Amino acid sequence: MQLFQPQEVVVERGSEASPIYRNLRNALLRTPFRIVDSVSTESETRVSFASTFGASKKRLFLTRHKGEFLKKCPGSDGQVCCNYFVINFASNCPMDCSYCYLQEYLADNPDLKIFSNVDDLLSEADELLSKHRRFFFRIGTGEITDSLALDPYIGFAREVVPFFAEQSNALLELKTKSDCVEGLLVLDPKDRVVVSWSMNPQLVIDRDEHGTASLSERLLAARRCQNAGYRLGFHFDPIVEYPNWESDYEDMLDQTFSSVDWRRIAWLSMGVLRDTPSLKRIIRGRFPQTRLLTGEQVLCPDGKLRYFQPMRVDIYRKMLRWIRRAAPTVKVYLCMESKEVWEQVFGFVPSCEKELGNQMAPSC
Amino acid sequence: MGLKVGENHLRDLMDWVEEIALRDQSTIAEILTWKPIVDIESDPRLGRADKLKRVKEELRRLRFPRLAQIEDSIRMRIQELRLHPEIRLTVPRGLEGGKLRVEFSASTPEELKKLTGKLAEVTAANSIREIFALLAGEAVENR
Repeated sequence: MQLFQPQEVVVERGSEASPIYRNLRNALLRTPFRIVDSVSTESETRVSFASTFGASKKRLFLTRHKGEFLKKCPGSDGQVCCNYFVINFASNCPMDCSYCYLQEYLADNPDLKIFSNVDDLLSEADELLSKHRRFFFRIGTGEITDSLALDPYIGFAREVVPFFAEQSNALLELKTKSDCVEGLLVLDPKDRVVVSWSMNPQLVIDRDEHGTASLSERLLAARRCQNAGYRLGFHFDPIVEYPNWESDYEDMLDQTFSSVDWRRIAWLSMGVLRDTPSLKRIIRGRFPQTRLLTGEQVLCPDGKLRYFQPMRVDIYRKMLRWIRRAAPTVKVYLCMESKEVWEQVFGFVPSCEKELGNQMAPSC
Repeated sequence: MGLKVGENHLRDLMDWVEEIALRDQSTIAEILTWKPIVDIESDPRLGRADKLKRVKEELRRLRFPRLAQIEDSIRMRIQELRLHPEIRLTVPRGLEGGKLRVEFSASTPEELKKLTGKLAEVTAANSIREIFALLAGEAVENR
């Protein structure tokens, strides 16, 4: 995995007291730090998007988050929802996958930001979880950033894992394409933290997941987490269809299940490559040689481009067959798919989003 | 190409041509001089709008070969049903939704009864089962 070496860390005044600042200073000894009154004025010098989005990953901002940290995952219009909540402790990601939706989602605000007020985040989570004790929360931190890629520098995991380890009505999911798990191994998750990986065959990683950990690095990290008491998750998402994709994906699944104990897997998800017409333009501009966009994608009613339905149902069925062969009862769900596709793949549709969310709750 | 193309059509066409070129490791010039395209362009019987429509359809088939093949298979099976002209079976463009759309219109109760009877007759046909199988991503024997 590519080392994160920012050219500069820009710190908003007031953030110097946070543990994140202290961790950054200790980890990035050679990187210049600059204290400013406001980070918003710092990011107003953009030239063109194509150069800015890539360049924005080289400069790290440390700032206070002013809004709410915890939000319901927006899902996608008309698709079956898995009742997921997200904590945004950072914005943007040091890695640079060609298909990444953040290229569009953060187009107007691409700065790589870490939020320093972790205490506010934990207070907000505590208030929500205490107020709704009978509701089970599945909460992830990997929605608009990678949960762990910056952890060796910011030490966010050791700030939040002890808190979530004590919660009876929540599971925290740390979703990553990195192998940065060192900081997790010394903590006791008490079965309340799931570390999960976005998975793809090495060919896809090499072509389109720039700066991420290799497949074997991800699997080694997963095994280390499992040995340290974490439950695991794997997200086969985005599944990319290309000539001979079947043998690569089947092989990847074989490697996955021979690396970890599937009975300690909390959940698996599957989702095919999806983008929007405007993201497609961005991808073409930033990664003109990628072959991702040459698949047979059509525009779906929610405004996203996906492989046409019979093709993706075929993909999901094959994947499910290979998964079930190794892990007969592991929980598998589809990400951002319609009821029709659920029905065609699994033979059923969850009756409501709460049902799907509750299925992911630990049985103990 | 000697076609006058509107902005939206042009964008679609250019995207498809570029993506075909990238996928097949060919050049844009090679695709635009592909025989079926040239044949349409040089066909004196076709007006400008028809040429554009057919060129676009050919390029779509080249860009989405497996989708086009399934659409063709479904179309062929619908034809095999030899439906009453008042009954129309269609699938959504791009096959999204996995549903077969049935349309018919009647002007009297007797006509409605006759049409629903005709429709009921074809529901057991092998072609109907195969259409649903194709929509559901299942392999169906080629004919």
